[in-house]
Amino acid sequence: MISSNAQASIEGILLKAARSRLPRHPDDACEIVPLAQAHDDARPEANVIILTISSILFRLLLVFHFDDDVHTRDYFAKETGDVSLQDMLLEICNLCCGAVNQDLLPYFRDLGMSTPYVLSARCLPYLEGLKPDLLSSYAITINGSVQLAATVCVCAHAPIDFVADITAVEETSGELELF
Amino acid sequence: MIEQYLLAASAGAVATAMLALILHKLHSARTLARFQSETNGRIHTLTQTNAQQNALIDQGQQEIQKLESSIAQLHDDLAKQSKIAGEDRAAMAALVEDKENFLDHARRIAAEASRLKSLAATFERWHEQMISLMTQNQDMHAKNHELSSIVKHVVIVSLNASIEAARAGNAGRGFAVVAGEVRALAARSEELSRSYRDSLHRNDLTTTATFQDIQAGGKMITASLSSVEVLADQFQARLH
Repeated sequence: MISSNAQASIEGILLKAARSRLPRHPDDACEIVPLAQAHDDARPEANVIILTISSILFRLLLVFHFDDDVHTRDYFAKETGDVSLQDMLLEICNLCCGAVNQDLLPYFRDLGMSTPYVLSARCLPYLEGLKPDLLSSYAITINGSVQLAATVCVCAHAPIDFVADITAVEETSGELELF
Repeated sequence: MIEQYLLAASAGAVATAMLALILHKLHSARTLARFQSETNGRIHTLTQTNAQQNALIDQGQQEIQKLESSIAQLHDDLAKQSKIAGEDRAAMAALVEDKENFLDHARRIAAEASRLKSLAATFERWHEQMISLMTQNQDMHAKNHELSSIVKHVVIVSLNASIEAARAGNAGRGFAVVAGEVRALAARSEELSRSYRDSLHRNDLTTTATFQDIQAGGKMITASLSSVEVLADQFQARLH
C-alpha cells in the first residue's frame, strides 16, 4: 500500500529530522545505521518515547529509544538545570516529530500531531500488531558515545505514493510545541 | 364745296378711324398673343413645378412610410429592450438575493466551523481518558509485578519444602508430593503472570497508539476547520 518511493521518502524525512533535531549542537557527529528490528532484547527495561502523526490516509508512529545512562544524561541533561532527562527528551522528540510533520505537510494537506508519551520498550514487539505497512528502525550514535534508536511505523488506509524533496535547507531553529 | 370738304373730312376721319381701329386690333392681337405666350410659359412652368412638387410629395410619402416603418421597428426594439431590461432587472434582483443567500451561507459556514473547532476539547478529553487508562495499566503492571515476586517466593518455599520433605524420609513423602504440587502451581502462576505482563504491554501500545491517533486526528480536524473558517471569511469579505 506504500510505494517504494513513499517508503524511501518517509525514511529520508525521518533521518533528516533525526540529524537536525537530536544532536544538541549542529557540529556534533550523528551516525545512523539501519536496524533489523525495533526492539532490543538486551534492553527490555528501557523506556521509549512515542508520538503519532495522523492524516486521512495514514497514521505514522515515531518511537525514540533512549538509554538512561551516564552518556545520555551528560549529553542531554547536563546543562538543563531543573529540567529532568525525561522532560528534556520529551521536548527533543517533540521537536524531531514536528520536523517530520513539517516535511510531510507539502505532500499531505491534513496532518495532526499528538503529544509524546513514555512507554516501556517491552511494548515494541507489539508494533507488528498494528499491521504496519512500513516498519523501520535505526541505531543513532551521537559523538560516538550517546546511543539512541528511532523507529518509524506507518499504517496506511489507502495507497500512498510520493517523492519527498529532502534536499531543502534545514532550519536550525524549530517550532516548539508545548505539551 | 363745303359739302365736299366735309365729305372728304368725314371720309378722312372714317379712314383714320378705320386705320386706328385696325392698328388697335393689331396691337390688341399682339398683346393678346404675348399674354397668351406668357400664360402658356407660366402654365408650363407651373406644370413642371407641379410635377416636381408631386415627385417631392411622392418622395416625402415614401420617406414617411420608411420613417413609419422605422418607428414601428423602433417600437418593436424598444419593446424588446424593455422586456430584456425587465428580465435583467429580475435577474439582478435574483443575483442580489443570491448574494444575500451566499453571504448568509458563508456566515453560517464560518460560524459552524468556529463552533466545530471546540471538538478539539472533546478529543483532548478522550486523550485525558487515555492517561487515566494508562495509569490503571501502570497499577496493573505494579500488581502483576508484585504477584510475580510472590510466585518466585512460592517457588523458593516449595523448593525448601521439597528439601525438608526429603530430609524427613518416608515420613515426609506425602509432604514432598504437596511441595511438588505447590511448585507446579507456582510455575503455572509464573507463566500466567508473564503472559499477563505481555498482555499489559500489548494493551499499553494499542491504547497509546489509538488515543494518540485520536488526539492527532483531532488536531488535524481542528486545523482543517480553521482553514474552512478562513475561506468562509474571505468569501464573506468578497461578497460585501
